[in-house]
Amino acid sequence: MFDKTVSCGLTWDFPVAASVDESQRWILSAMQRHGPELVTMLWRILGNEQDVCDAYQDTFLQLAHYEGRQKPKHIKAYIFRTASNTAISMLRHRMAERRLSRTIAQSRFAAGRLVRESKEQSHGCPADDLDAKHLQESLRGHIARLPEHLRNVVILRDLAELSYVQVAGILGLSAGTTRVYRCKAIQLLAAWMSKEKKKV
Amino acid sequence: MTSKNKYNRCKKIKSWLFESLSNHFGPDAGWIHKHIAGCPRCRQRLASVSRVHLALSMIKAEPHSLDLLMRANTKAVGVLRHSLREQPKAEKLRTARPEPKLSQKCGKYARSAANTAACITILFLAKVGILGSMSKFQSEGQGAMKQYYASQVGQDISDDIFTA
Repeated sequence: MFDKTVSCGLTWDFPVAASVDESQRWILSAMQRHGPELVTMLWRILGNEQDVCDAYQDTFLQLAHYEGRQKPKHIKAYIFRTASNTAISMLRHRMAERRLSRTIAQSRFAAGRLVRESKEQSHGCPADDLDAKHLQESLRGHIARLPEHLRNVVILRDLAELSYVQVAGILGLSAGTTRVYRCKAIQLLAAWMSKEKKKV
Repeated sequence: MTSKNKYNRCKKIKSWLFESLSNHFGPDAGWIHKHIAGCPRCRQRLASVSRVHLALSMIKAEPHSLDLLMRANTKAVGVLRHSLREQPKAEKLRTARPEPKLSQKCGKYARSAANTAACITILFLAKVGILGSMSKFQSEGQGAMKQYYASQVGQDISDDIFTA
């Protein structure tokens, strides 16, 4: 009896699934259309290829499961915002891990057990201004610390290189407000980075 | 004054206003340079903003490997439904590589295109008669000179001068 029910269920499910697949072809189109820009943006936020692939996959997985597999009204806005949020949470996670490993290294150094190891670690983050990697990582960290409304503008305008009008469209703001937010964000980043420089 | 004229004047003044404002208050304005040279706080502010811009350009300039898009697409397509994975478009995505934008592609031809456009414009002007009307102005000028000479020194001498 149960077998019959199951087979009946499958027969009914099949055309439904096929129609869903048919209607979900827009995901592939979205991937084709916005993929290159999205990869560039994620690469600039994360700076690590494996993380980029993970964030990209996560974005499209979320898109495929958006409100009962429906197509969002503004696909580009949805994709860019989801990707940016995913990348920022990954970046924060990475920063927390790094902070933890630094604390462990410092405590080991204080105990005087692994002096040599800690020297190697401190060599990885030099105080030199011209150290490109250090400067990039520092900016990434500060971008992740920005308030959401300012962070979104900086990411979309400066890292995804979208125009102010496009950014305004994605965030649902006016172009003028977007400019003001970007200006505030740069001022905040500048203040934080100079404070960090003084500490070093 | 009609509303259209007023609008045109507004438009003109807007562009002049912007130009004069950017000359007076833009980053290249002389008085700003002078002030920054003498004010340690502004110098520090400028340095910190420049640091942010430097870091941003470094991030933008750092290249990723060419197959990153391909790998990301493969990974993302891999979690979609089986029937979507089998689509020809999905296969195309798995082998996609980043391509330069149309503006970047055409960028190298911009100078030669500008030269060609300039040549075409000159030919067009010649065809339309701008250059022809210049010779007309020249002959009209000559006629005026002849008339002047005729009134001053007499018709015979003027004819002799201008027919020679």
